Amino acid sequence: MRARNRELFGLVPAALLLTAGFAAVFIQESGKLSNVSLVYGAVFLGLCLAGHIFIRITLPHADPYIFPLVAVLACFGLVMIYRIAGATEARQQAQWFVLGLFLFAGTVMFFRDYRKLENYRYLIVIGSIVFMVLPRVPGLESATQTQTYGAYLEIHVGSVTFQPTEFAKIGLVIFLASYLRDHRQALAEGRKIFGYRVPPLKHLGPVLLLWGVAMLILVFLHDIGSSLMFYGGLLSIVYVATQRVSFVVIGLVAFGVGAWYLGTHIPHIDSRVQAWLYPFKPSLYNAQSGSSYQIANGLFSQAQGGLFGQGFGQALLTVPGTHDAYVPLSDTDMIYAVITDELGLFGAAALLLIYLLLVARGFKAAMLARDSFSKLMATGLSAILAIQVFVIVGGVTRVIPFTGVTLPFVSYGGSSIMANFILVALLLLVSDRARRPTTT
Amino acid sequence: MLQPVSVGLKFGFLIVLYLFLFWVATSSLFDLRRGFGGRGSGAAAPPDATGIHATVDPLQVLGQEFEPRLVVDGALGHKPGVAYDLASGATLGRGDVEIQLQDPFASTRHAKITRQGRTLVIEDLSSTNGTYLNDELLNGPAPLRDGDQIRIGDSKFSYYQ
Repeated sequence: MRARNRELFGLVPAALLLTAGFAAVFIQESGKLSNVSLVYGAVFLGLCLAGHIFIRITLPHADPYIFPLVAVLACFGLVMIYRIAGATEARQQAQWFVLGLFLFAGTVMFFRDYRKLENYRYLIVIGSIVFMVLPRVPGLESATQTQTYGAYLEIHVGSVTFQPTEFAKIGLVIFLASYLRDHRQALAEGRKIFGYRVPPLKHLGPVLLLWGVAMLILVFLHDIGSSLMFYGGLLSIVYVATQRVSFVVIGLVAFGVGAWYLGTHIPHIDSRVQAWLYPFKPSLYNAQSGSSYQIANGLFSQAQGGLFGQGFGQALLTVPGTHDAYVPLSDTDMIYAVITDELGLFGAAALLLIYLLLVARGFKAAMLARDSFSKLMATGLSAILAIQVFVIVGGVTRVIPFTGVTLPFVSYGGSSIMANFILVALLLLVSDRARRPTTT
Repeated sequence: MLQPVSVGLKFGFLIVLYLFLFWVATSSLFDLRRGFGGRGSGAAAPPDATGIHATVDPLQVLGQEFEPRLVVDGALGHKPGVAYDLASGATLGRGDVEIQLQDPFASTRHAKITRQGRTLVIEDLSSTNGTYLNDELLNGPAPLRDGDQIRIGDSKFSYYQ
């Protein structure tokens, strides 16, 4: 099968899954099979086909598996959001999905030669950092709640709310890939002091800058999740560019020290750590603020799923007899817990496998790319996606302290979907250039 | 009444999902092998020490055209699209050389392209501002491949053969 036909073939199961998911949810909701699920499946297939035809025309050599994998993720998101939050939210999510596809097309058209991004690298990095601290600017912060559960993540412009960190992650990856393209050799070589290579200080600057940015996110935005995501993603680019494990070790130690210091001094972060360590402690579980209620109930919810799950529409969402949420934020941060509840260990493992394959395809594109900027950018984008999944799933499964980052393409939220579509567009652009046969 | 349908849909969902994942995993695994030169190529092909002097079937060479050339992508004083013949190599620079550059960042004798059989090798002649091959600073001689991009200061060229 030719590459593009494989892509087309891969979209069929995505549409089937959406249809099956909606059918199951409808049965649970109204007790009857409804042909609306077929309509939804057809519309979804139509949208994916539009995306596919666009890729067929503009990126004929791009990786054929990335787009179907993204479509399956989006299908998970749409079904679960419809089931958890309701029809209005699901329609909104679908609109964002369409908008995301347009943004995807726009990125591909506008950055056809994505290497021109390099010319604006300092503009991009400064823009990203400014963008990221915007939630702390008076007047732009959320009108209804100045903080989203203790972290400053959203900005409000008019009636539109969005999360700048989602977009900033792409900007920082582009900057670092471009910077390290030029300086990686100096960074990798350095002088030998006591038999140990120390990179020249002036080249260490950007690496220190990264550490600074990560700490800045912690201090200003009180957000461990995004901080870890940025830092991990960017550290992986440094590692790939220099092939030096010492950078990773030094970087992680520096981050650990900084995070430990701030964690013990910022009450919001400290309460997150406490809730992570002792989720079942009654005083924490019943606490008014900084409660471990969400994490503990998320764990109960996942346990109820068993091997194959309770089935679509069967998970407990509100505390019986009341309207209180059983798992707060179940359509965004905790969506993984509800998926595990309804589809079981097998469903959850499949979801993680989708991400694994998506990231593997990203690394594959990086391996095939011929120039270092493309290599580093594709590596960074894939790594940051992987770490984002790790941070949120790790938080829900209590591997690391729980912090709110979105599950890419699945969580309810426009910024996340749109930013990740830009990310995928860049990956496909790299992949298309790398796989293009050389003209003779 | 619809309980069995609901259960069926759940398992159907999981089965389709896993079949899809299996399909992606197996076909991309094959793809991964192909990316490194095909299945078992390490044992079949003779080890190539340098990577430059690839063994080429002489019969194939006769059939193929080999016209090494440098195409101007954008350079001061050169018309974009113009191709320079590299059949006997060339030197690039601001001085009296085969391909003259009017670029302020170019050195008098900046870079040299020499032919070694069917391979052309580019080498920086210790220029002040360096030569970039595919946006990477050239460090010693490097073989040119079809489609490679060469940049000296603001002058850009592409290599085709």
